[in-house]
Amino acid sequence: MNEREERARTDRLLQEAMRARLSRRAVLRGAGMGVAGVSLASLLAACGGGEPEPETPADIFAGEPGPTVNFANWPLYIDQTKDKDGNVYHPSLRLFEKKYGITVNYEAIIQSNEEFFAKIRPQLQAGDPTGWDIIVITNGRQFNLLKQNGWVYKLDPTKRPNFEENATPFARDPDYDPGNEVSMPWQGGFTGLWYNSEKTNGPVTKLDDLANPDKVGKNSVGMLKSDMPDFVMIQLGIDPATSGPEEWKEAAKWLMMQRESGTVRQYYDQGYIDDVTAGNLSAGMAWSGDIVYYKLWAGYPQLEFVLPEAGSLLWQDNMMIPVGAENPVGALMVMDWYYQPKIAAMVTEWVLYLSPCKGVREQILKDAEQALEDGYKGYANKLYQTAEAEIAFPSDETLAKAKFGTNIMTDEQAEEWDAIFLPISQQ
Amino acid sequence: MSVTATRPARAELEPAPLHRPNKRWTRFILPGFTWFMIFYLALPVFVMILYSFNDIPQERQTPRFWGFTLDWWKNLFGVAGMTEALKVSLTVAPLSALVATALGALLGLSLGRYRFRGKGAINFVIFLAIAVPEIVLGSSLLSMFVLTKVVPLGFSTILLSHISFSIAFVAVTVRARVQGLDRSLEDAAQDLFADPVTTFFKVTLPLIAPSILAGFLLAFVLSLDDFVITNFVSGTTSTFPIWVFGATRIGLPPQVNVMGTLLFAAGILAALANVLVQRRRARR
Amino acid sequence: MAVGGAAETRGPRSRYGRRKQRAGVWLMAPAGVYLAAFLLVPMGMLVYTSLQSGGAFSGRFYFDWNFANYADVIVQYKTQFARSVAYSIAVTLACLLLAYPMMYWIAFYGQRWKSSILMLILVPFFVSYVIRTVQWKFILGDDGLIFGPLKHWGLLPEGFRVLATPFAVIAGITYNYLPFTALPLYVALERIDKSLVEAAKDLYSSKWQAFRRVVWPLSIPGVFAAFLLTFVPATGDYVNATVLGGPGTTMIGNIIQEKFLFEFDYPGAAALSVVLMVAMLILASIYARVLGTEDETLTAAI
Repeated sequence: MNEREERARTDRLLQEAMRARLSRRAVLRGAGMGVAGVSLASLLAACGGGEPEPETPADIFAGEPGPTVNFANWPLYIDQTKDKDGNVYHPSLRLFEKKYGITVNYEAIIQSNEEFFAKIRPQLQAGDPTGWDIIVITNGRQFNLLKQNGWVYKLDPTKRPNFEENATPFARDPDYDPGNEVSMPWQGGFTGLWYNSEKTNGPVTKLDDLANPDKVGKNSVGMLKSDMPDFVMIQLGIDPATSGPEEWKEAAKWLMMQRESGTVRQYYDQGYIDDVTAGNLSAGMAWSGDIVYYKLWAGYPQLEFVLPEAGSLLWQDNMMIPVGAENPVGALMVMDWYYQPKIAAMVTEWVLYLSPCKGVREQILKDAEQALEDGYKGYANKLYQTAEAEIAFPSDETLAKAKFGTNIMTDEQAEEWDAIFLPISQQ
Repeated sequence: MSVTATRPARAELEPAPLHRPNKRWTRFILPGFTWFMIFYLALPVFVMILYSFNDIPQERQTPRFWGFTLDWWKNLFGVAGMTEALKVSLTVAPLSALVATALGALLGLSLGRYRFRGKGAINFVIFLAIAVPEIVLGSSLLSMFVLTKVVPLGFSTILLSHISFSIAFVAVTVRARVQGLDRSLEDAAQDLFADPVTTFFKVTLPLIAPSILAGFLLAFVLSLDDFVITNFVSGTTSTFPIWVFGATRIGLPPQVNVMGTLLFAAGILAALANVLVQRRRARR
Repeated sequence: MAVGGAAETRGPRSRYGRRKQRAGVWLMAPAGVYLAAFLLVPMGMLVYTSLQSGGAFSGRFYFDWNFANYADVIVQYKTQFARSVAYSIAVTLACLLLAYPMMYWIAFYGQRWKSSILMLILVPFFVSYVIRTVQWKFILGDDGLIFGPLKHWGLLPEGFRVLATPFAVIAGITYNYLPFTALPLYVALERIDKSLVEAAKDLYSSKWQAFRRVVWPLSIPGVFAAFLLTFVPATGDYVNATVLGGPGTTMIGNIIQEKFLFEFDYPGAAALSVVLMVAMLILASIYARVLGTEDETLTAAI
């Protein structure tokens, strides 16, 4: 791994050396090369990705914010309600808009990291604006590429006071973005186990249960393709941060064993929740907020979410500002806005994921008391349950056992990882 | 030895009626099968209509049926982004179908009947258009649009891409019809009329009209339904399939069913309108 | 006097023939130009990408005639290739078997209802295909609208399921591509002269013979078009395998998608796509040769 780190560092040095040449090339391109603009050089550069990244200009966060902020996020990831005309709006955003007079165009169009990244990559590579000021990307390969290629601006720590004051320990300085150079988490969550108490033979508490046909039945387990290597490693006692191909092979061995046991019904990218609620699955891996939401708010009490003894996989969805954003100053203001306990609580109450802001739990308890006073007993009840939810406010013990996934940073790592794990789901 | 002995002994000499013996097939089996298939094709739509009345406690759908409600019908535009996405889809589809049909019909006509140099090449290009995996065409188009910067990503690039993959489907459909067409009809017409253009409009076009309509419908559906390619070239714009696919990650809001029902109803109305038009034409 | 002396003036080298040649070119020019710009150029970029090396993390992909990409992907994914072709053949056969009788009835017996019924067939496809697929999952779920009651009444074993099997994937693709099969078939069947069919029925001993000897050969261009429009895109489909499939149903389209989105292996994805298209081209030309499409249509036209 030492060699790989060196390789990565060398690559980065080379890219930095090319940066100075780049800005001139960018000027030339914009000025001279016309509509079709397809000189062989630019074709090769854009096709080939040899286009070095622009440096974050020193003064990108100085000055006044613009009038609008374009915010791209995942679906159902923000508080939402209807006004008296029946139009949907987001209260936390509206408070921001009222205070600063800046309009926020919030669009929940990110369905998956891969697809969204595939969409913005050609524009970023060509040095064009993506149309977004804030994007939200989970820690992982796409995040690393964005950071390494310099396609997101480095954030100015002096312009995010709320974050500096209120960020939780796991949100601050994660191993995938030391010092929060380019990102601030929006929400986080756990990947854990879930089961349907009406369909399994007793509770599912550990990884091996998912490979046990007597417990979960055949053809009824749902696995998450993107998370399963890391999750299995954690269950086997391996810390992904220090793992290498040897450990990866161990996890792959377990996964093949599971596949041969016949319990797996499907390997999912995203849409597993349909099969959960339809009763096609009896158990599997899941993201915390999904299962608990259906259990608490949508009438599926038989679903149980479990954070196993051996630990769980921690992930965070991070706000970043892509290069070419029109209103980086405004974007940073919005990002920092959500690090106030009151505002963060509004989001968590609705979303049920892990908040990166301190003091949210206390805020929710206060809201619950208020609701009780106002006579909304059912609502207060749900708020109390939210405050007690382990997945939204984990104990220190849980947090200690929760780990981020492996940080893939070079082509060699990626190739090895894929060669080991992809055949399991692709066979 | 009467002359009549050489005549065939059959009772009737007039042309046989369209419905012959073995009526079992034509009266029951074939039509029954067809209507069954139509029902089968529409089955998920019927389920969708049913669930548009589902009284679910929250905003995301599940297979369980809770009870009847008209809430979602009343609050049709209550879902952020869905209405705009639908508007984009309903604008792009007819436009793209129109252009693709015009270009594709001409192409199909030329391929089905004329021999010219480069015909093999064009056939190959058409084949490419159908064979290329959508994800690859989508990403290639995206790279091209970004590189050449002629149009910004959004409505125009969606439209251009849809036309691109639809032309081939229309061409193949029209070509199939043209290939079997009796040319003597047109040759005679061309001898009678002065120029090829009039022949085209008065003779050729009516003959291949059904295939053009079929091609138009195909192109329309292709455009309305396209997800993969559109997803790549749409930039920050959303079309209905993109929006819906995004929503499936956490469950579809029931308003999607309502929209789907309306689309379906629009299609049924169009079919009914066509019945009336045909009836009037038959009367003439 | 253009009516007489047709034979001498009709050859390809005659003025008439040359005019016809030019007409052909003019007709196809607009579409040809459009496709050149919006299809050939991206395809060119595709081939170019397939010969690149490099990786996303090292920051660059560079062109170096890397034909090894092709060898790698063919060897690595031959199972998925074979599986996709097998599924696709099943799908095309199913589509042809289902669509042909339907289109036959509509074309010959539909009379003035013809185009309306045709539209009815297409109308479900106005509704987004994602919605329809989700509804199918509801319907075909293990405890869904169909199997739930059936299991409840003991008509089916508990473990019975349709989803997450190859059958579900094939059925799903068949469902989605039925219009692509139906329309070309309809177009070809509809233009067949009814009196020919009547004459055939009088001449041959059975209806089946009449069909086999007259209608079927005349409809072959339509069958070929239907085959082309169904088999070829179906092989590259990936959504049905994702939504309705399970382990062991991965198709080549899924591989390409994952290569592209997850592995950032753009050269590999491009190489796979080119291989897929070439394979389809070969299969399609074999099929055309077997059916003798070009000749059939000439004899049929006389």
